[in-house]
Amino acid sequence: MRSLRIGFLLGFRQIQRANFWTTALIIFVMTLTFLNLIAVSGILVGLIAGSERAVQEKSIGDIIITPLDTEDKILQTETIRRTLETIPEISNFSVRYQSGGQITANYKTRRDLNDEPNAIGTSIVGIDPTVEDSVTKLSQSVVEGRYFIPGESGKIILGALILDRYTAGFADLTGSLEEVFPGDTVRVSIGGAVREFEVIGIVNAKAGDVAGQAYIPTQELRRLSGSVSRNADAIVVRLDDYTPEFAGEVKQILLNQDLDEFAKIRTFDEALPKFLTDIKQTFSILGSLIGAIGLVVASITIFIIIFINAISRRQQIGILKGIGIERRAIEIAYVIQAAFYGIVGSLFGVLITYGFLIGYFDRNPIDFPFSDGILVAPPEETLTRFLILLVVTLLAGLLPAWLIVKQNTLNSILGRK
Amino acid sequence: MPIIKATNIKRTFGEGDLTTHVLKGIDLTVETGEFLAIMGKSGAGKSTLMYQLSVLDEPTEGEIIVDDVDVVQLNEHERTSFRLNTLGYVFQNYALVPDLSAEENVMLPLLMRNYDWQTAKAMARVAIDGVGLEGKYLNLPAELSGGEQQRISIARAVAGKPKILFADEPTANLDTVSGTQVIDLIAQVNRDEKQTVVMVTHEREYAMGCDRIVHMRDGEVVDIEQLK
Repeated sequence: MRSLRIGFLLGFRQIQRANFWTTALIIFVMTLTFLNLIAVSGILVGLIAGSERAVQEKSIGDIIITPLDTEDKILQTETIRRTLETIPEISNFSVRYQSGGQITANYKTRRDLNDEPNAIGTSIVGIDPTVEDSVTKLSQSVVEGRYFIPGESGKIILGALILDRYTAGFADLTGSLEEVFPGDTVRVSIGGAVREFEVIGIVNAKAGDVAGQAYIPTQELRRLSGSVSRNADAIVVRLDDYTPEFAGEVKQILLNQDLDEFAKIRTFDEALPKFLTDIKQTFSILGSLIGAIGLVVASITIFIIIFINAISRRQQIGILKGIGIERRAIEIAYVIQAAFYGIVGSLFGVLITYGFLIGYFDRNPIDFPFSDGILVAPPEETLTRFLILLVVTLLAGLLPAWLIVKQNTLNSILGRK
Repeated sequence: MPIIKATNIKRTFGEGDLTTHVLKGIDLTVETGEFLAIMGKSGAGKSTLMYQLSVLDEPTEGEIIVDDVDVVQLNEHERTSFRLNTLGYVFQNYALVPDLSAEENVMLPLLMRNYDWQTAKAMARVAIDGVGLEGKYLNLPAELSGGEQQRISIARAVAGKPKILFADEPTANLDTVSGTQVIDLIAQVNRDEKQTVVMVTHEREYAMGCDRIVHMRDGEVVDIEQLK
């Protein structure tokens, strides 16, 4: 206890009397180390997390209901719909119908039937525009033109990835429509039925297949496909609040009502493609490795700083031991200095991360082809990394102090080797 | 009654052909309350002898009893504790911690002896007052002259009322006036507090106030001069 008290006094005073700029520089290095630990892996993981978030918000929702593996459609869709309406934890849900079809653009201007048709086979999705927008905010993904107005008919919204100008280099592989803009008319064929639609908007999103299909109101799809069944292809459920646990609880409510006899019910996390979680784990490991290198550099920095500090005070350390100050007290003084650098540097790192970086990347995501990258820094992981940094820093402070303090007292006093 | 009894103290450095015999079998007794000076030319071994007596070094051979404790047998931790509780030191170069105020420097060994902060502070101020530096409690060493720093060093050494005060050439870096003040202070401590003092010096005028002067040459005691 008394060693601790003396150690605190010596350590605190050394910090207090140290050159301000030297201290600032050391803290700056520690802040950068902390950011390296948190931000690098956070951004790498955030690339995938951004993609996941987009898929959840714009495509599959918090819970996704799809046909059983043995069925083409969700059985008893109306029963499921009525059940969903009775569950208070569900804020909204969108029932989607889907049909394969062909969209042709140049049918009016093509004089020669030997000319290549400007057409593409794609998935036509029937939605209730208002409900779909409340669940997936589809209108916010409109990059050209506008979204549906309730009650209108004969309108279609195209996904950007079925248009030539958005698919750039890989359009040759997938096929695409050329020179189609909002206001143009296209012909949609499903089975033998054909109908003209006016293109009113283009949607684009880095989420699943949002940008890879075309959207029309449900009634028009049903009319066009001639389907009399009301069984849907997907039901996207939005909860009041999403956590994997909460979604699991709601799913259990649905299972308790035996809805799994009619459809496959999965939470967002369950429906997430495995490759995404694999990539996320890989990026996390990669980020940790990069962070570990930073950690080694920081520990060497602290070691050198404390070593130089201690060796330049070797005579003073000898005299302190000479007048009866215990070794442990002197070592504690240096460990406290190292802890100060580590803690203050980390606190600045935390302030920068949570006060600025996370918000900044949320507002200005990194624009990657497959996702809008954000910075992911869960508090519990940050705390773990902070503790790792602190322990490494303390060891890096203790080791040089121990090396100097253990030297012969008289040799230290006299400056002898 | 002797407080220090050194018998056949030898101290060598190096090995084989490079062995240097710095102390060649010294016998010395210091009485309780005595003011003893050790004198000699450079290389005579006076500082080395003081380091043995003050438990800062271990003799190669011989026995040293300090305050009834065979200090040669102590381990490092026990030696540190013994120095803290029994001995006080004044070093040639003042040896104050530059980051601590004068008061905190004096408090340091007191805190190590487990005095609470307020008691240690009060004792430190009394000691600083005693060396004539009232009002300089909060000054950093760098804000004090050499003489003042050495007086703070004396205050640190005597604040805990050690049984023996060791002073290793305490005037070496001081001008004559400051040197005289420091020697007077050490003599005062010996006179008023009845503390045993062992002082190494190479200046005879500073040793004249002592009870005895031990003269050394080439690692041996060549004369003991009784002054009082």
